[in-house]
Amino acid sequence: MREFVLRTSALAHKEALHMLRDRQVIFLALGMPLVLVLLFGYAVSFDVEEVEVAVVDHDMTHASRSFLARVDASDAFRITAYPASAEGAEALFRRSHLKAMFVVPRGFQRALDREEPADVQLIIDGADGTTARVIEAYASALALFTTADLISSVPTSTPLFEPRIRMWFNPRMASAVFVVPGLVAVVLAIITVLLSGLTVAREWERGSMEQLFATPVGRLSIILGKVAPYVGLGFLQFLLILVAGAYLFDIPLRGSFPTLVLAVFLFLVAALGQGVFISMATKSQQLAVQIGAITSILPSLLISGFLFPIANMPLPLRIVSRLVPARYFIACLRGVLLQGRGLSTLWPQILGLAALGIGIIAITTRRFRRRLD
Amino acid sequence: MIGGSPSPTPSPPSLRATIIEAVGLERRFGDVPALASLSLGVQSGEIYGLVGPDGAGKTTALRILAGVIAATDGHALIQGRDPLTGASKVRASIGYMPQQYSLYGDLTIDENLRFFARMFCLKKAEYEARRAKLLDITRLQRFTDRRAEALSGGMYKKLALACALLHRPAALILDEPTNGVDPISRRELWALLFRFAQEGMAILVSTAYMDEAARCHRVGLLHRGRLLLEGRPADLTAALDNPVYSVVFDPTNTGFNDTLMRHRAIVTASLAQSEFRIVVECGAEAEVTRFLADGGATWTRVAPNLEELFLVREHEASRSTPRTQPTGGREA
Repeated sequence: MREFVLRTSALAHKEALHMLRDRQVIFLALGMPLVLVLLFGYAVSFDVEEVEVAVVDHDMTHASRSFLARVDASDAFRITAYPASAEGAEALFRRSHLKAMFVVPRGFQRALDREEPADVQLIIDGADGTTARVIEAYASALALFTTADLISSVPTSTPLFEPRIRMWFNPRMASAVFVVPGLVAVVLAIITVLLSGLTVAREWERGSMEQLFATPVGRLSIILGKVAPYVGLGFLQFLLILVAGAYLFDIPLRGSFPTLVLAVFLFLVAALGQGVFISMATKSQQLAVQIGAITSILPSLLISGFLFPIANMPLPLRIVSRLVPARYFIACLRGVLLQGRGLSTLWPQILGLAALGIGIIAITTRRFRRRLD
Repeated sequence: MIGGSPSPTPSPPSLRATIIEAVGLERRFGDVPALASLSLGVQSGEIYGLVGPDGAGKTTALRILAGVIAATDGHALIQGRDPLTGASKVRASIGYMPQQYSLYGDLTIDENLRFFARMFCLKKAEYEARRAKLLDITRLQRFTDRRAEALSGGMYKKLALACALLHRPAALILDEPTNGVDPISRRELWALLFRFAQEGMAILVSTAYMDEAARCHRVGLLHRGRLLLEGRPADLTAALDNPVYSVVFDPTNTGFNDTLMRHRAIVTASLAQSEFRIVVECGAEAEVTRFLADGGATWTRVAPNLEELFLVREHEASRSTPRTQPTGGREA
């Protein structure tokens, strides 16, 4: 046992020296998270702001003008065109930046005055589905509030109720607040799988595995020694993304930090184990990078709940997602950072991570043949 | 250079324990046989040289004995234990120096030494003493902060040797340790090997240099995965029946040496240090000497050296075994 600890720590120390002497690794490990946070934080946005819209006012009354003024005044829309009719909407969408068109029909004010439903037609460019859905939601909300205001401006009527929607955990519905916590998992998955994938393959390619195998060191020592320094590096990356997220996108930390640290640790072990496993099976740095990239990026991006809710996936994908460590990790990240949760409610996710981490290390150790052929 | 003069060969130690042992070792890579029924033993205090052409199976044999690859059949034993499946105790008694670069190039001499010392779990005091001694005899003290990849070929090999010797192994297995090493470093390395053999280490070394083979206590010639012959170098060369001549040509008869080399009774010819030597088929002595006299050359009969012995034996083996038998490889 003493010898096991001695050898494992010697391997970890040696691995840390490799890491610190390789500028590329340091750059990749610390530069890439920042680049990805900036890229995803700013680019992956479901926010819709200042969408250019056209308006057609067939009513030309105080009420219609008042409604359209509110459309223009809202953060979501900016009126840039006033066509005479809705006839050319299709052509307009095709050759301009216009994404939607409001058409106020004749008799808008009259209907309001009678407190009857007054229709406003909204034509949306559906080519970009995500944006279209957001425009629809904004427009309905706008119509709801404006109608209430317009009616209440008429002294005889009193609104029956006024909707006050509060979005918890992310009051401004900022995409970054939603994306960045998940991004921690994606970034850590990609970088740790790639780096650990390189390290074992490098020993094969450089021939040092032959010398290592001639010593009494055991399989588990080799694997744990490889993984340990990268757990440290992973923590550094995690803190870096967290701090960058807090400064750039106001990502909060509302819940239990120790729970999050535990989740990070378990996730890193699972991701590193995956990398070592790939590296062991391929014995080539180039192949390890390719397989590592595919098996880390795709699952953590697509079936982890990062971008798409797992509940909406078909059953087979839901089952596969249970084997993706990022799934549990993202749940922990959002739970702790945004929802203020702790171990008392997140323990199933922590258990899932622990099971995957121990499982992959066990499989890797078993499959690791301690010889050259 | 170590040169042509045969170095004093100490008599092989007798009645000593066999440390390194191969019993009917066989190894195939797919359908390709690399080793066929190899048996040999190296005793404590003995240097055993394994020679043979590239692809004869030297590296495969050493790798099996060092416990880094498996044999298809037969047994490899180090002090009676299997180096591959045996407990870590076995590996602690083996020092192995692979042919290819296998230390950590981005670590310094000191870091490499410390790393391998920790793999063998040496105590601190033991390591310090061993390190000081090995750095002293390899004369690497002044370079301990230099990275392994920045060392010259000879210095690198000495570092690899030091790493393999840190834990005082009973068995030392070296795969072409002087390959790509300058003559002075070669001589130093061999001086070190004799020193360790005197301390009782069993040393199995493969080499492509015949002068090195001649210095071993015993040598074995590997040919297509088989041990063609084995014994003390002096005994082996004495047993060669073929006449060997040192030839001096008539300077006016240009082109005669080419004609001579194509003569059907010449087994092999070599030019080394301005001496032209030929090995003649048994019984063709009269025919060849007449041919030499006709060409105006003079000759003296000389004692065969190891290289000539091996070339003759390989020549015989190639003729007696069908060509189709594939050669072994080190693509393990």
